[in-house]
Amino acid sequence: MSMMHASGVKDAVKATSMPPTASLMRWVIAATLPGIATMSYFFGLGVISNVLLAAAFGIALEAAVLRLRQRPIRVTMNDSSALLTGVLLGASLPPASPWWLIGVGMIAAIVVAKQLYGGLGHNPFNPAMVGYALLLVSFPTYMTLWAPPQALLPNDLWAQIVGTLPTAQLDSLSGATPLDAFKHKGEAVLASEFWAANPLPNGTLSAWRWVALAWLAGGVVLLAKRIISWHIPVAMLGSVLLLATLFYLSDPSHFASPLFHLLTGATLFGAFFIATDPVSAATSQRGKLLYGAGIGALVMIIRTFGGYPDAVAFAVLLMNLCVPLLDLYSVPRPTGQQKASLGKPGEQP
Amino acid sequence: MSNAFDFPGGIYPPERKQRSNQSPLIEAPLPRRITLPLQQHSGQAATPCVVVGDAVKVGSVIAKREGMISSNLHASISGMVSEVSATQICIDGDGQDNWERLPSLDWQRAEPSALLERLNKSGIVGLGGAGFPTHIKARVVERHAIHTLVINAAECEPYITADDLTLRHHANEVLEGAQIVAKLCGAQHIMIGIEDNKPDAIEALKHALSNYQPINIELKVIPTRYPSGGERQLIKRLLNLEVPSGGLPADVGVLCHNPGTLLAILHAVRDGQPLVSRVVTLTGEAITQPGNRWVRLGTSVRELLEQAGLNTPELNQVIQGGPMMGTPLLTLDTPVTKLTNCLIAATLEELPPPPAESPCIRCGECESVCPVALLPQQLHWYARAQDDAKVERYHLFDCIECGACSYVCPSHIPLVVDYREAKSRIRLQRIEAVKAEHAKHRFEFRQARLAREEAEKQARKQARQAQQRRSPTSTAASSEKVDLRGLRIAHAAAKASVKKAEKTLARVAQEDPKQSLDDLEMQLATAQENLKAVELQLAQAREQQPSEESP
Repeated sequence: MSMMHASGVKDAVKATSMPPTASLMRWVIAATLPGIATMSYFFGLGVISNVLLAAAFGIALEAAVLRLRQRPIRVTMNDSSALLTGVLLGASLPPASPWWLIGVGMIAAIVVAKQLYGGLGHNPFNPAMVGYALLLVSFPTYMTLWAPPQALLPNDLWAQIVGTLPTAQLDSLSGATPLDAFKHKGEAVLASEFWAANPLPNGTLSAWRWVALAWLAGGVVLLAKRIISWHIPVAMLGSVLLLATLFYLSDPSHFASPLFHLLTGATLFGAFFIATDPVSAATSQRGKLLYGAGIGALVMIIRTFGGYPDAVAFAVLLMNLCVPLLDLYSVPRPTGQQKASLGKPGEQP
Repeated sequence: MSNAFDFPGGIYPPERKQRSNQSPLIEAPLPRRITLPLQQHSGQAATPCVVVGDAVKVGSVIAKREGMISSNLHASISGMVSEVSATQICIDGDGQDNWERLPSLDWQRAEPSALLERLNKSGIVGLGGAGFPTHIKARVVERHAIHTLVINAAECEPYITADDLTLRHHANEVLEGAQIVAKLCGAQHIMIGIEDNKPDAIEALKHALSNYQPINIELKVIPTRYPSGGERQLIKRLLNLEVPSGGLPADVGVLCHNPGTLLAILHAVRDGQPLVSRVVTLTGEAITQPGNRWVRLGTSVRELLEQAGLNTPELNQVIQGGPMMGTPLLTLDTPVTKLTNCLIAATLEELPPPPAESPCIRCGECESVCPVALLPQQLHWYARAQDDAKVERYHLFDCIECGACSYVCPSHIPLVVDYREAKSRIRLQRIEAVKAEHAKHRFEFRQARLAREEAEKQARKQARQAQQRRSPTSTAASSEKVDLRGLRIAHAAAKASVKKAEKTLARVAQEDPKQSLDDLEMQLATAQENLKAVELQLAQAREQQPSEESP
């Protein structure tokens, strides 16, 4: 057994040895900060209220379930994984989502998707995306309340969070996201006509682009720190770009440009922060490439032919389903063996 | 320098070799008392051939090899045997250092059989770690054509500098030792694999290579990366050959030796000096005079570390071997054996205990560093679940236990510990399964022994008769027809089965030094008994035959 440990050794070579799990999680949380800050700048303090509420729910729910399961609370909580789930779900929701909406999403994420399956390391699905998907199909009204870019402290922020805002007023707050708008432009309308009609409030498109670039910056930090491997993001973005380019080239008047797909919506956020969740992703390097490419392809298929404009959550969950199969069929060939085992009965050594 | 070939994975742990590679290789003081365990090699323990009170010299045989995979043991100091037990022999030294050497052999002229016998007598085993008896390894040529002898000087484990210093001080002799082995195994090519973090040793080798060498030797400097010193990894790196799973380097025509072993081989052949000392790296923050010493086998670890300035209050643990694959010593009152290449007297700060384990998050980092391209994480799940069928499907037994996966695991899961447990559990099951088989083999052995004794009795009887028959008139005494041809066939078959049993035993023992070899040794003994019996019968028959053919 190795008596040298990656951490604690004073002259350990950090370039290849991984930081401990808890610090991996904290690095990912830290890497979300540029994205969250940029979102708050454009969409107001509601973004921060989302994240804080979701994180608080995450910690409270995890502690409660650990207590029920009679597991050590402090040691387990120390890994910060519930906090990270909260941050990721919070960042995915429309700004200033009501507290109960966040609560329901976090229950689905932490209690159902994570702890009922056995806690960290055992969940087959990405917890944050389970929460998001549940909310999206259960509360579509609230989940599309993406306000246009606004002041840092929007009107009725507090009323909306605590849920005292009349429903009639909710509609007046909402605005379509660029993906949403493009999705519902109508069959008869050509892309050029659609854009000419100026369907989005001023600054919406550029706000989304800046946010996407901020997520990209966080992702680059994670890659540089070797917190995540390049396989999944590169494969996912590659397949999005490839398919978007194919669609766009086949009919530019009906399909959005590759850059539009990349820079609006959750593509970059998903590629670096959601799809890379190691627990629910494929494990081998070849598996990761297939997994990422699958997510990218599903994102493009759902966006183009499906009913949901963004699709990252569903694509990730669908590929989570495929992980056992991917793991089985992406086994590398061990040195000295004729071929990979593929889970079939091997020769008795 | 060639980067053309590579093995997957690998890690770059801190090397920490500076601590022990700064001072020259020196002799450790002569110990006053030594303790020599009878089991210092893979295979069967040696059998004592001295009793308490016997006077011995350095190099006197004190325990003989037992069975095929075994090795002689020699006194490493001169003095008096003070204890003989089932596991060890102690000698109290007389401080004289009187030697008993075998005659010198000229390896260029000597017969291979004489060289092999010398290796056998000298108790030489692989000094790299597994301790496989060298004379058995040298006989591999009987079954395989060897094209290349690899000198494994990679020494990739952190801290250890024993091979480095051996090469710096004895490069010429190591190369000469390699020539002997190359001659024995018929290798036409010798390749030295060394990591680029040993510039002085590389320089010494280059200098030594400029002298005349009968067989072409190639020096390959490879980038430092753990575990390039693994036999299979090094062969991949140097020759781009993949040793098949469950096989040996010999299967791809390669033999691997560590520099220390080659030096010991030369000492045995040229100087008639059996294996009584070895180079040990003394290092770690808890000693003040780190470095490499020539240490007599059986020297107490405590004594050795104290001579190197052991700072007992600072000492947390002593690790025998390297920090990646070595084992912590439970007590310092343990002797240096043929397998002790390094002693790390570590402080708590230097090698702290592992942090608490947390759940596996399936990050796959372990897979990316595995030099065998296994899936350590899947193995972890199945090993913990005791799903033995699955761990074998995921090639648990291809794991070389290098510890790279444990090293990078962010959840601090002691993966290699899991694998070792799973391996021993599976081995145990297999042992249970072969126990019945073993009982059968014991019975067969008894039958063979009885047959051999019967044949001996017959032979004695016949000898008596022959003596009585001296008078020329009584030739007609034995008239029964002797099936000489049948006996010849039986003899050949018995000989073949002895060969086969030896082969199996050698292969199994070399593949897996920790495995119990009782059953295979028993089968070999049975085959040998059978051979003896048939030989006797054949000799008898031959004696009778002329009397029948002559008329």
